[in-house]
This record gives sequence, structure tokens and C-alpha cells, in this order.
Amino acid sequence: MTTYTIPVGPLHVALEEPMYFKVEVNGETVASVDINAGHVHRGVEYLTMQRNFYQNITLTERLCSLCSNSHPTTYCTALETIAGIRIPERAHYLRVIADEIKRVASNLFNVAIMAHIIGFDSLFMHVMETREVAQDVKETIFGNRMDLGANRIGGVRYDLDAKNQDYLSQQMERMKADLAEILDIYRNNAMIALRTVGVGVLPHDKALDYAVVGPVARGSGIAYDVRTKAPYAAYDRLDVPVVTETGGDVRARALVRLREVQVAIDLIQQCLRDMPDGPIAIGGLPRIPAGEAIAKSEAPRGELIYYLRTDGSDKPERLKWRVPSYMNWDALHVMMEGNRISDIPLIVNSIDPCISCTER
Amino acid sequence: MNMLMLLLRNLARGPSTDAFPFGDTFTPERLRGRIRFDPELCTGCRLCAHVCAGDAIHFDETDEGLRFTLWHNTCTFCGLCEHYCQTKAIHLTDDWHLAHLQQDKYAMIEQGVVAPAACAGCGCRMTAPVPALTALAYRAGNRRIEHLQTLCPDCRRKAGVTGGRS
Repeated sequence: MTTYTIPVGPLHVALEEPMYFKVEVNGETVASVDINAGHVHRGVEYLTMQRNFYQNITLTERLCSLCSNSHPTTYCTALETIAGIRIPERAHYLRVIADEIKRVASNLFNVAIMAHIIGFDSLFMHVMETREVAQDVKETIFGNRMDLGANRIGGVRYDLDAKNQDYLSQQMERMKADLAEILDIYRNNAMIALRTVGVGVLPHDKALDYAVVGPVARGSGIAYDVRTKAPYAAYDRLDVPVVTETGGDVRARALVRLREVQVAIDLIQQCLRDMPDGPIAIGGLPRIPAGEAIAKSEAPRGELIYYLRTDGSDKPERLKWRVPSYMNWDALHVMMEGNRISDIPLIVNSIDPCISCTER
Repeated sequence: MNMLMLLLRNLARGPSTDAFPFGDTFTPERLRGRIRFDPELCTGCRLCAHVCAGDAIHFDETDEGLRFTLWHNTCTFCGLCEHYCQTKAIHLTDDWHLAHLQQDKYAMIEQGVVAPAACAGCGCRMTAPVPALTALAYRAGNRRIEHLQTLCPDCRRKAGVTGGRS
């Protein structure tokens, strides 16, 4: 049999963002894949060094749409570490709530797109409708459907009064029943199983080799979660179960994401129960001395690391971040080999790649 | 649950989308939309322009006073300006009707002029501290604070040295 090369991307109907895959195929089967990145590089890292610390809160939030809140939270944490700021206890809980609402919306979006790629659009619409509850929550509590604007240096800039707490609690409760149904469909539906079970397998040992993070790692049985390994904000005071699946295939990763939505809803309810009263941010405008810090968080796609160095001025001397998709997309080499051409978009989607924050 | 049952249930529920533009649509109170500026409350500290990531806010001195200009087409509606504004002279309203014709793009601005005051001491032109700011700084005012508010920074320093007998 002869092999030949087909290009997928950088602009392709099945790809949500630009990425170039050079795929060697043997008939219908993928023999190897070459990944070529860099199509949406915008120089944001350099741009952050031209903007002051306040402007960067907004700028980092706009790196990525789906994990937008993880970026400013981690950035502010790094700044607070350098300045030695201890943020109020209530702010820690409010940061968890903001992060977990984004996780609900992000994970549901990814599993919905999975259904769409399979061609199961009625399921896609149903999951997106459930996700709409989270979107309405974000718009009601924070004022925007994507960019929450929840963070400031030294705390948060939104508060939950009794009315909003009731609303949030009700909406989370409302999602639970729908979510249980959706999880059941992803677990047991024959059409889903036909396209996703045993497709794009990343075995446990390969997952360790490639140091994948987030739901991709947990789908291959690696119980790594920054929220429990290196707790930040209020996570050490909350009960955070680490969700894992052992299949290592497209379905395992989707199931991890759906179960993590359930965990996220539970975490929001724990926060609402345990959150103390008090201030939501420190007063005044803090002075940021020269120094450097690393901050980590568990974004919806996995471990997000921020490195920040300051020189005593009001701008970062260097700001660098390592996003989870950077670790995950290399594992596509393993996942794609031996699969069919028609499964390529499905496998790419299963790592939930965020190309805009990886290439920034 | 069986997918067909779920579809039947969704069919019975009817459409989930809003009827807009023929009906009302979901607009929560906290929505970050069109920006409104109140010159009566502005102290001219320019912190809003400092924190604005998109450089959408500009101040310039005009004959009428300090002019505030915000370009809605540059604004990201992040709300940092409102958050850091001590006197809340900037407010993000829940008005999201920002669609406009190409020819109107330069008119999509919010503008206001902070009227200058004359110093009660030397008569020079100054940006007067607004009552909202002194209320924040001193809570309950007194006659001395009220008097100091009418002075320019130089006269205020003089008044501080001489114990307010200017």
C-alpha cells in the first residue's frame, strides 16, 4: 500500500482554531502526524511588558475566551506573592466560585463540540442549552457572558449579596438533573460509543512520558490536579475529589470533563455554604516591589503556570505563562497513529486545545 | 435517559431562544454595557485612564475645563475604570445596544467636561475637589474642610502652615 500526505488546516472546517497538521496516511489509516503551530501568534507576552499591572489584569483575561478567568487569577496571585499581599478570606472563596463557573461552561462547551463533530447535532444543541444556564449566571453575577472581570490586585471586585447567592445556588441545582442525563448519554449511547471508544487512545505510560495535564492526564488515569497537589485560593479548605477515568480514549476524556462539571457545581455550593463575611479586597493601591514569583492554577484544560518578574516599576519586567494545551498537543502524535482520517477532528477536539493562549 | 425521549421533551418545552428583536431579551442588572460619565463627580485623578488596557479613555484640557472622552469602539467593557473610580463618576450601564452604522463610528463616544473652579484664595483656575471625594476621605465634614475645598493646592498649603487664617 502506498502512503501519501494530506494537509489538515491551518484553516479547516473541522478545526475551531488555526493549526496545521501534516498527516501521513496509509489508505484510511493515520501513519504519523506532523504538527505545525504559530498561526495565531500575536505577541501578547511582549505586550504585557508595555502595559502597567492594572492594564494587564484586563489583557491577560483576553488571552483566551474559555479559560479567561484562570489567567487574571493566576496573574494576580503572582503579583500578590511578590508584594507579600494576603488577600481577605472571602476573596479566596469568591475566586474559587468564579473559576468553577468558568470550568462548568468550558467543559460543557468541549463535550458539546464533540457531539457536533460526530454529527450528533441534537445532542450538541441539548448540551449547549444546559451550558446556557452557566452563561446566564455569568452575565447576571459578573456582567458578561465570557470575561468575568472578577479579579483585582489584592482580591476580587465582585461580591455576592443574599439575592445573588440564592440565585447562584438555584441555578446550580437546576443544572444537576440535566447534567446527570447528559452524563448517562455520553456513557451509554451506542452512537457515541461507536465513534469515541478506543479512538485516540493515550495509554497511561505514554501520558506520563508526554507529561500531559488536566482532563487529558486524568482521562488516562493520572490523578494530577493542581487544586489538590498545590492548593491555592480556598481549595485547601474545600473537598475536591480528583476525577479520573482509565480508558485514555476520546470518551474517557469527555467523561472526565462532564464529571468535573459535577465537581465544580459541588465546589460552588461548598463555597456558598462556607464563605465567611468580610472585605473582598485589600484597600488602596499596593506598591509592587522588585521580585519574581511563580503562580499555578488548575484551568479547565489543566495546569496553568505564570512566571512574573518585576523591577520596582509599574510594568512587568517579564511575564511568561505555560498553558496546559502546550503539554497536551504533543501527545496528539500518540493519539492519532493508527486511527482513521475521519477521527482526526474528534481526537484534536478531545484534548480541548486552546491555541489562542498557547501561541498568544 | 433515552435520547429520543429527551428530544420529545425539548420539543414539548418549545424554543429556548429569546424573541428579540420582536420581544424582550435577558438583560441582568449588572451587565457591563454603554459607559456613562458624570462630570459632577469627577475629580480629574485620571486613574481610569491609567488602568484602561485598551487606552480608550483620554483627558484633555480645554477652555471649558477638563474634558473626558471615552471611545466605545476601543473599550473592552472590563469595568476596571468603574471599579477604581473612587467617586463612581464612571458607570457601566446595562445598555448593550451598541450596534451602529459605519458612518457613526466616531460618534460612539462618551464625553463630559469637568468645569473648573476659581480658587477662593488667589483666584487661579483649578479642578475643584468634589464633595463625594471629601465625604469618602473625611466622612463628616467641618467648616475648615469646607473652606480648604475652595482653595487651590498652593493656597491650601499656605493655609495649612498658617492654621487656616488666609
